[in-house]
Amino acid sequence: MDELEFRRTLYADPYCKDDKVLAAIAGDPKKQVFCKELKQLDKNMQQASQVKIPDDLMHKLILRQTMQSHRTSKVRKRIQLAVAASVAFVVGMSFTMWQQSHLLDLSKQAIAHVHYEGGYALDAEENFSLQQVNAKLAQFGAEFSEDIGRVYYANFCDFENVRSLHMVVEGENGKVSVFIVPHDATYLAEGSSQDRRYNSQAVDLKRASIVVVQEAGTNNNKMKEQLKRKIQFSA
Amino acid sequence: MFLRKQNRQTSVSNDMANKQQRYEVLVLALHSDIFRYAFWLVKDKAVAEDIVQETFLRAWKSLDSLKDERAAKSWLITILRRENARRFERKRFDLVDIDDVSVIDEQLSNEVEIEHRELRAIMASLSEEYREPLMLQIVFGYSGDEIATQLNLNKNTVMTRLFRARNQVKEELDKTNDNRGRKNG
Repeated sequence: MDELEFRRTLYADPYCKDDKVLAAIAGDPKKQVFCKELKQLDKNMQQASQVKIPDDLMHKLILRQTMQSHRTSKVRKRIQLAVAASVAFVVGMSFTMWQQSHLLDLSKQAIAHVHYEGGYALDAEENFSLQQVNAKLAQFGAEFSEDIGRVYYANFCDFENVRSLHMVVEGENGKVSVFIVPHDATYLAEGSSQDRRYNSQAVDLKRASIVVVQEAGTNNNKMKEQLKRKIQFSA
Repeated sequence: MFLRKQNRQTSVSNDMANKQQRYEVLVLALHSDIFRYAFWLVKDKAVAEDIVQETFLRAWKSLDSLKDERAAKSWLITILRRENARRFERKRFDLVDIDDVSVIDEQLSNEVEIEHRELRAIMASLSEEYREPLMLQIVFGYSGDEIATQLNLNKNTVMTRLFRARNQVKEELDKTNDNRGRKNG
């Protein structure tokens, strides 16, 4: 090992444990001094490098992290709450919509009812008096204040589990089926619909809905307005 | 079901407590070394403190990725160097003059302190590529291989830089000693 290489090696690492280096040091007092000097320099540099640590650094480091984790846990809680709220909202919304989609459309139901009954009510040729009709209507807390024309048929019927009054009355263009259906949450209380044979209109009043069903092509409005005007609900 | 949930929650808070403990041990054991490393990297106390705080915050966030505590030091140095590099991406600070470095010491009472001050100024005057491996060797007691791994350099490069670093320090010291000798003599 020549002098230059020796110096280079020791300059790079004064504590070099290489056999050749150690042998060279052992055999040369000058090199021993050189090595000692370098080690001293390292020691000095090591001491000089020990700059003072700011007193509160450690506390700052721990405190800051605590605040950070506190903040993230707070954020996490907020996110969890938001997710829970969203889920609840969606569940609520879909339930309402599901329920609404299952609501019966009164006007449609009335047409189905008339179809199902066939001629039973429509073929009836009786003549109910206003008192008889009002006696039945009293069950729903309602009455007709004026004569509504000839009543061919008036009886209670089952309107999808709701006890209702089914009447057949005389209209301008023949017989008209009229249903008086007390309020029930599962009904869409107002609307109109039609099929090939009938058209129907439902109107929502104070305590009940009136559904008017006539042959397709005729206008229900007049009958509907007349009934609406004449029916009265007790307070 | 409720029971299970409660158990999981306690285990979560146990994990948190464990993490907290690990972190505090890490801070206690290494904050001085890491601060000194940062200081010799940037040569400014305030900036060094900022970087160290960022470093430990990042360490806290990814503490789970530290599997072996023995690797903690080099892991932290890696984070710190990245933080330092990021600082340069954000904004280029003016580096502090070597003269300001003497501010480090509040009490300069004896000759040893004066010597140290000179030495510090010389160390600070080394360029970063020499200063960094030298500090790893002196402050952290890293071997040439370890420095090479930490700094992503090959070992020969590291040894050359170490040699040049000491060479420069020596030369500067001799120069000041000469000056002093001339002044005194």
